[in-house]
Amino acid sequence: MINLKHIFKWVTVGGSRVFLLKDINLEVKEGEFISIMGPSGSGKSTLLNVIGMLDGFDEGEYHFLQESVHTLKEKQRAQLYKQYIGFVFQAYHLIDELTVYENIETPLIYQNLKTSERKAMVADMLDRFNIVGKKDLFPAQLSGGQQQLVGIARALIAKPKLLLADEPTGNLNSKQGEEIMELFKQLNNEGVTIIQVTHSEKNAAYGSRVINLLDGRKEINQ
Amino acid sequence: MIKNYLKIAFRNIILQKGYSLINITGLAIGITACVLILQYVSFELSYENFQVNKDRIYRVQQDRYDNGKLSTQWAAGAFAVGNSFKDAIPEIEDYVKLVQQGQVTTEVDNEPTKIEKVFFASSAFFNIFTYPLIAGEKNNALKEPFTIAVSETTAKRIFGTTNIVGKRMDLDRKGNFTITAVYKDAPVNTQLKPDILISYDTYVKMNGPDNNPETAWSWDGCLTYLLLRKDADIKGVEKKFIPIVEKATGAEYKKLNAAVTYLLQPLTDIHLYSNYMMEPAPNGDGKTIYLLLGIAFFIVIIAWVNYINLATARAITRAKEVGVRKAIGSQRRQLVIQFLSESALLNGFALLLALILVVIAIPGFNAISGHQLSFSLLSNFNFWISLAVLFVAGVFLSGLYPAFVLSRFNPVEVLKGNTGGIKQHALLRKSLVVFQFTASLFLLIGTVIVYQQIQYMRRQSLGINVDQTLVVNRPGVGIDSTFLQKMTAFKQELQQQNTIGNITVSTSIPGQAVDWNAGGIKLVGADESTQKQYRVIGMDYDFIKTYGLKLIAGRAFSKDFGSDKNSVIFNRKAAEQLGFNKPEEAIGKKIDFWGEQYIIEGVAENFHQQSLREAYEPLILRLIPDVSGYLSVKVNPAQTKQTIAAVKAGWNKFFPGNTFDYFFLDDHFNNQYKADQRFGQVFGLFTGLAILVACLGLFGLASFTTLQRKKEIGIRKVLGAPVLSILNLLYREFALLLLIAFAIAVPVAAFSTSQWLQGYAFRMQMHWVYFVLPFIAIIAIALITVSFQTIKAAVANPVKSLRTE
Repeated sequence: MINLKHIFKWVTVGGSRVFLLKDINLEVKEGEFISIMGPSGSGKSTLLNVIGMLDGFDEGEYHFLQESVHTLKEKQRAQLYKQYIGFVFQAYHLIDELTVYENIETPLIYQNLKTSERKAMVADMLDRFNIVGKKDLFPAQLSGGQQQLVGIARALIAKPKLLLADEPTGNLNSKQGEEIMELFKQLNNEGVTIIQVTHSEKNAAYGSRVINLLDGRKEINQ
Repeated sequence: MIKNYLKIAFRNIILQKGYSLINITGLAIGITACVLILQYVSFELSYENFQVNKDRIYRVQQDRYDNGKLSTQWAAGAFAVGNSFKDAIPEIEDYVKLVQQGQVTTEVDNEPTKIEKVFFASSAFFNIFTYPLIAGEKNNALKEPFTIAVSETTAKRIFGTTNIVGKRMDLDRKGNFTITAVYKDAPVNTQLKPDILISYDTYVKMNGPDNNPETAWSWDGCLTYLLLRKDADIKGVEKKFIPIVEKATGAEYKKLNAAVTYLLQPLTDIHLYSNYMMEPAPNGDGKTIYLLLGIAFFIVIIAWVNYINLATARAITRAKEVGVRKAIGSQRRQLVIQFLSESALLNGFALLLALILVVIAIPGFNAISGHQLSFSLLSNFNFWISLAVLFVAGVFLSGLYPAFVLSRFNPVEVLKGNTGGIKQHALLRKSLVVFQFTASLFLLIGTVIVYQQIQYMRRQSLGINVDQTLVVNRPGVGIDSTFLQKMTAFKQELQQQNTIGNITVSTSIPGQAVDWNAGGIKLVGADESTQKQYRVIGMDYDFIKTYGLKLIAGRAFSKDFGSDKNSVIFNRKAAEQLGFNKPEEAIGKKIDFWGEQYIIEGVAENFHQQSLREAYEPLILRLIPDVSGYLSVKVNPAQTKQTIAAVKAGWNKFFPGNTFDYFFLDDHFNNQYKADQRFGQVFGLFTGLAILVACLGLFGLASFTTLQRKKEIGIRKVLGAPVLSILNLLYREFALLLLIAFAIAVPVAAFSTSQWLQGYAFRMQMHWVYFVLPFIAIIAIALITVSFQTIKAAVANPVKSLRTE
């Protein structure tokens, strides 16, 4: 599904390059559940953003479902990730001005779906996550765990093949965190490929594989 | 999708109440001002638009030259112009001649009734101009001598009906005129609003067989309008005038070292761009119109700038939303559309508010502008078009930039909470604030100078005393050989009353242009090429005394010198034009004036015959003991009522059949400043609005920048900074912007106001105070505006602001 070959990403500071990603090679098969680990500043989030096509890279090749991402134009790339990739953020990043229902619905709007279709899909999702009763509330009226649940619902609404999660439990207490991880496991069992960034060994254990990063480099272990 | 965008936009507007209120109010004021001014301007631009032939009608305008120098410009020209041109130039399809007759009196139930706007008009009038007939036949109207056409209103006023064709009507007791047509009243937006048209052939008949106007080239005062063929080349037609005029007048004018040229004036240009001698009605001023238009757009642009400023300032608070939206699949285009919908919704609310404001403001606007906008405006197609244009322009001009800024955010950066890239817009924002304050300052300086000029004009000594003067309009009926006797008896009778001061009769009174222009005047014995044009006032013995003119040489007219009949008095300017820089030298000199010789008995100091907009003119005061004209009566202010009654009684006794039509001269004189005052008021009003809108924006901006610096202020206070130094920190930024605005506004304002003042012959002295005071005022206003926020921030408890960070 994902094939990264010799990916480099750098910024130029005072004339010299500082590498954010250094020669990353990674292959992810459909149905995998991968955890990316490493200390702060090791490039975990950068790698996740590159995979999610939110961020570019300076050198290397990236193939996603047989598409060469590095040759695609901005618009085509957006088309690709809109269709196949869902994001979950540490800080949930719900839109404060929108209700739960509308937050979940928004990605569908960007895919130009009709109102009736959107209604049905959002209703399904609300049902599945047991948040029908909260659909008209605004994010500020929810607990952190509930907000993250909405965030995941929003990420899944467009039926992505790949779910990218950047420390999804980082802002949650341990009980809420556990529930989220259980949910991820269940999603993975249903066939969704998941890549998560995490600090916690416990969370990483939910996944099938761990990638360790240090200073933008993949550590050779495991 | 749009529905969704609008919903979000609506929620954002509700959520950010203050911000929305500032924007909507500002935009609404801007739109209101713009719409009102646009209506006013479009009315002024609509003059003569109702004429079906408007694109083919041209007025023949006359320029006169003395010694190769342009001396006078005339709306009217020689009587022979129309027919001579038509006969020789195939591009001319038809022509109409109009001669202004002024007012006439008729009698209704034995009561003299005044009819104000009377013209002689040749029979093509109804073919060329669009005045539909209610009664009568186009082909018969104005054909025969002593026939007239009457306007609808006049017909109803005099006869109570428009069914009057074939009836007879008496004008100035000069015989009966047969009514051949009744025409619809002219709309407001035309220069020609005749109450009665008398057939031009009447005019020809009245002048007798020896004075045929059709061949008169040195006889002025005829307005000529041409109807040209569709494909006529205007410059080409004007060129064809030259040989005709040359042939008819060339030899004579060459002797005088003078020349005359005839030019074509498009009918539709007359109202705004023509202010010549003998205009049939006062015109508007194109410059003023475009100035107002400029102000209107200033205000609306200031409001748009508010939107841009506040939207970009708020960008940080919207950054996260943009990041999220992009991460979940929004394309940039979709975000741009979203932000544009927000702008559209805001502009939409502003538009609704503006509609209400327009309805509320119409009466006030009319009062200030002297204009007649009505609520029927709302059924005017152009009104809605202008609203729509303002709306669309507002959405895109104010919405696009913030939309692009906001939609450009990199989702990875902003979701990390990294909003550092937003700072770069500070420069743009500052430039826009500088623009707003430059515009406000410019307008304020303009207002001050307009008011100063008006004050200056009103305070200046006129050199002629117009106070406490009652003027009675010239009689039309009963001017015959007994007139002098009657007038003398009337004056004597009045003078016996101790409430009445001096009395005089003259052909002109102060406060209006002298309508008697005489060319061909020179010193006796001098070469004919020294002939020049002068304005002439005919007067009785008492004019100079009554009006308190100051003589700088010689003496006034006096009955003590038996032969004063051929005496004239020059004003200083006229003496100079005759070649005497020392007034004493002119005394006793003789001049040729239309075949007779006159002695210059005195030279009067220049006085302001008209408003100070006009320069002094070379003026000859000519003694005509039996002159017919305006009767000026000096009255005792305490006994005004009795005086009017006495004058009226005497008037009715000596001049029966005339309406007693009087006014006070100081009012009449000040009426000349009405247009200036209105302009000043409108200018001042819209300047105020512009400043208000700019302050709204500044207030919003100050809130945001202060909010952004909350943490900094907190830290500084913890480190021991006193409130004053915090305030200094916050004000410094705005003060610098104001200084820049001042530096830009002053030269621009100085230049444009001096351009504006060029329109006035007598100008106020420029003074630095007129520039610095507005600046101080703007500083004060801005300071107060900003202080609402800054003081709150500066005195806030730092613990609180740091904790919320």
